[in-house]
Amino acid sequence: MDATEAAAVLARARQGDSEAFRELVERHSRSVFRLAYRMTGNEQDAEDVVQESFLRAYRQLGRFESRANFGTWLYRIVSNCSVDLMRAKQARHDQVHGDSLDDAVELPAGDGPGPERMAQSAEIERRVQAALGELSPLERAAFTLRHYEGRSIEEISAALNLGTSAAKHSVFRAVKKLRIALAPLRSQES
Amino acid sequence: MSARHYSEDDLTLYYYGEGRRRDAIEQHLAACATCASLYRDIAGTLGMLAAPEAPERGEQYGLEVWQRIRHKLPERPEPWWASFFQRDRLTLAAAAAMLVLVAFIAGRVWPRQPVAPAGNPGLTAGGATTGGGNAAAGDTRQQRILLTSVAEHLDRTERVLTDIMNAPDTGDISNAQRWADDLLTTSRLYRQDAEDAGEQSVAAVLDALERSLLEIVNSPSKITAADLEQIRRRIDAAALLFKVRVMSDELRQRELAPQRSTPRNPTQKVS
Repeated sequence: MDATEAAAVLARARQGDSEAFRELVERHSRSVFRLAYRMTGNEQDAEDVVQESFLRAYRQLGRFESRANFGTWLYRIVSNCSVDLMRAKQARHDQVHGDSLDDAVELPAGDGPGPERMAQSAEIERRVQAALGELSPLERAAFTLRHYEGRSIEEISAALNLGTSAAKHSVFRAVKKLRIALAPLRSQES
Repeated sequence: MSARHYSEDDLTLYYYGEGRRRDAIEQHLAACATCASLYRDIAGTLGMLAAPEAPERGEQYGLEVWQRIRHKLPERPEPWWASFFQRDRLTLAAAAAMLVLVAFIAGRVWPRQPVAPAGNPGLTAGGATTGGGNAAAGDTRQQRILLTSVAEHLDRTERVLTDIMNAPDTGDISNAQRWADDLLTTSRLYRQDAEDAGEQSVAAVLDALERSLLEIVNSPSKITAADLEQIRRRIDAAALLFKVRVMSDELRQRELAPQRSTPRNPTQKVS
């Protein structure tokens, strides 16, 4: 579908044509899922984010400016849905559990596998996921957009409705926490 | 070497290719062992964080998402008919004209109902009421017209699908696409009618057809062998041609069956 057709579909969707919106859903679902999965780190949560994002997009289509890029507008919605879902999940988790990152990433004592082997193992992945899981929803979202999605600080700030400084510091805090959490792995490497 | 060291935040921005003073930082890192060590640590940690591989989602994923959310979409404030008129006046007009024509032909060729026997004046032979039951009889007639129209629609759709199944592996499918596009609008109208009439199985087949028609319409006209094969596989996987034929036959059987009272006429009396 070329840009003209895409614009026509979008215009119809904005006028309330649900069939046109269906075309948008079909075209963007996979990329939305990929972003949601990176944001949440969980398949089921990502599916929930996909659904909620499209429902929000449908409700807010009237506010979408036709000059803007629909994909960019949608990824902002996905980012915010992910943050909302992670906040809700964290609140539930905090009420029920008292797990801490220290427990989650504590390295086994003694001689483990070498760093090269560790780097390829599921264990390192588990620790990375645990470390990412300990970030606040906003830190994780900002870090995901910066590190995995390659978005600039300006773009992150627009996506998450933050000031530039707040967006920057969310990334900085995430990097600091990750460095601390993954330091044992790094020390094994060196 | 400058006496001033760069902060972790400065070096993080530098790692991501952002921030000012990039040239200055680069020169500093070459000369300052402390900052170079910190930067190596930051880069080493961030280098461990490879993008997580999202589980694969197939070509049909968008349709699956749509099926999950379509009933949750909030109502739009516009009148229900507005989007049809805005979208495609010609197709709507053609569909409406076709419906009128089908209704007219069906009315001409439909066998007339025998007059109810004496002693049972309120009922036709098929059970529909006369007189006070005219509305019920009209209702049944409308449903039969719908069945006739849908059966014919299914036949036309079957021909499009058959064309696609038998098309050369590479080539131009624009004719089939135009045909599919025409049928798509009609299909939606019939699906809505079928849902309103409580014909859920008919609506389900029409819904599956819509998806295939939409996929055909949205494919490039100069389709590749791989894309065509995918469409065919999905038609096969959904057993769509089989369902269309069975449903078409079933509807025609119901057209030929004697009129019966339907659950939609609860006021009907049968003695």
